[in-house]
Amino acid sequence: MSLSKKSNDDILKLLDEHGIKHGPVVDSTRKQYEKKLEKVVEKSSVKASSDKTYYREEEETSYVTYRSPFGEEGFVDTVIRRGISTRDEDKELDQHTNASKSTIQFTSKTVNHSVQQSSLQYNKPPIKSGSSKWKAVRLLLLLLAVFAAACYGAYWYLWNYQS
Amino acid sequence: MSTTSQKHRDFVGEPMGDKPVTALSGIGDSLGKKLEDQGFDKAFVVLGQFLLLKKDTEMFTEWLKDASGANSRQAGSCAQCLKEWCDAFL
Repeated sequence: MSLSKKSNDDILKLLDEHGIKHGPVVDSTRKQYEKKLEKVVEKSSVKASSDKTYYREEEETSYVTYRSPFGEEGFVDTVIRRGISTRDEDKELDQHTNASKSTIQFTSKTVNHSVQQSSLQYNKPPIKSGSSKWKAVRLLLLLLAVFAAACYGAYWYLWNYQS
Repeated sequence: MSTTSQKHRDFVGEPMGDKPVTALSGIGDSLGKKLEDQGFDKAFVVLGQFLLLKKDTEMFTEWLKDASGANSRQAGSCAQCLKEWCDAFL
């Protein structure tokens, strides 16, 4: 997108579209607004690609939680619809991801080829599905560390008490 | 208040009238010359630019850095100077 070729009016419209507060777009100010637009467009394209990953993950997880044997066709329809409607409820689905991670792998094979058309970016691996796993691992490690510290403290106290 | 320079206080203390661009805080002779070459020969013209950017100090700072080669400190100082002047007189 070469913003420098656009007219002042076009820049103005783009600024409004992106919700950027601005003054008049004139010769002396347009360069600054072009820069701002470039930044915003860059950010939104990065965000959109990560959103796409989310979308894909949600499809996979919601597929697993349904698990009713209505036949594969009906299955996929439900998945796609649910994926679209629950885009914002990723927090809820994260919990499901933890419990049903093993089943995802089994069912993802069957779902992959049919979901392919609807998923926006097939090439990117679902990195986000691992992050909740890592959260659990980190939490577990933290608990272990706290428990170890408590045990050590108790042991130390007993040792001192004895002597 | 004690962190502002005398130049800043001098500028913000009265209407700018016909003061040259070098009267602005942060704008010395070399930066002033570069601005003058672009047509910003008086402080009120730079004020005009500041107002066009809707008194957004961040955007103005970016503009000034591009237009005159000012560094962040100089540009920030000029923006703050204009902002305070506007608060007092506009």
